[in-house]
Amino acid sequence: MNRVVLIFGILIAVALVVVLSAGLGKDPQHIESPLIGKQAPDFALKAVGTGETIDLTQFRGKPMVVNFWATWCRPCYEEHPVLVSNAQMMQGQVQFLGVVFQDKEEKIQQFLNERGTAYPTLVDQAGKTAIAYGVGGVPETFFLNKDGKVVAKFEGPIDPESLQTNIRKAMTQ
Amino acid sequence: MKKWILLLVFATSLFAQEVKVPDAEQFVGKPEGPPLTGALLDQRTNETGALLRCPVCQGMSIADSPSEMAVNMKHQVRELIARGYTQEQILRYFERSYGQFVLLKPKFQGVNTLVWILPIIALAVGAFAIFSMMGKGGSQPVDETPATTADEDPYLAEVRKLTGKQS
Repeated sequence: MNRVVLIFGILIAVALVVVLSAGLGKDPQHIESPLIGKQAPDFALKAVGTGETIDLTQFRGKPMVVNFWATWCRPCYEEHPVLVSNAQMMQGQVQFLGVVFQDKEEKIQQFLNERGTAYPTLVDQAGKTAIAYGVGGVPETFFLNKDGKVVAKFEGPIDPESLQTNIRKAMTQ
Repeated sequence: MKKWILLLVFATSLFAQEVKVPDAEQFVGKPEGPPLTGALLDQRTNETGALLRCPVCQGMSIADSPSEMAVNMKHQVRELIARGYTQEQILRYFERSYGQFVLLKPKFQGVNTLVWILPIIALAVGAFAIFSMMGKGGSQPVDETPATTADEDPYLAEVRKLTGKQS
């Protein structure tokens, strides 16, 4: 009997170690997006500066990069030049869109004036668009193919390599 | 005629300017319950909010978290309940965006089933092990070997002889 208890104890200990080591290695804030492979939620939001309403569907037929950010988010400052330079480089081939939530329009405008931009930045007033995309924290970037399907999601400040890899995915999938 | 055309152009431009945010109806269909107001609306909002995890907090529900993200989510829950969406529809709507991560109570399906079943199995196996050990202990024959006396044990006899004690 002691042998059975010992084996059972070892099995429980091994299972615990496996589960804990798998869990501890993960970022608790990382959310696997269930949207990948699905149609991206449609939205039409006002652009900062022009006040023009930009509808996501007007860009169908082109791969898209939808970046959620805010001026109070420090890593967003880091990735902004990466997004702007790539948007300039890929103009006509890929459509970039910025979506700002939990922020004030004056602050966004000031940020864009100081750092420049190459694509429309939209304001998500009550954060409903961010919620529909399952945004947990900013910055988060979604990659859509030409049919409007989500092919990838990137959490945190994006680097040029990850941006290009995911854009390629959006162009081919 | 010109007036009508101008009016039509104006109406079209107004429509084109309309802000549109993703709506629950697009993902979970029309509301399946009655629209709620007042105290019942507050109560249902808190109950449903307690079941949803705040995505920017550490294990807190949106009902308890003061973060702006949680407040926005709670507003949306309230709005959906006011429109007649059921708790099940609302949980489904948030799960569609955030996955099962957003549900504070894991669903009884797939790998999650283990979360519910394993503790019960472990308890049952533990109880079985304890009872079977107790049962074995109780049925073991008692050692009926009589205590050794000094007459039979030469070692004990020698000790007594040396200390001058008799049994």
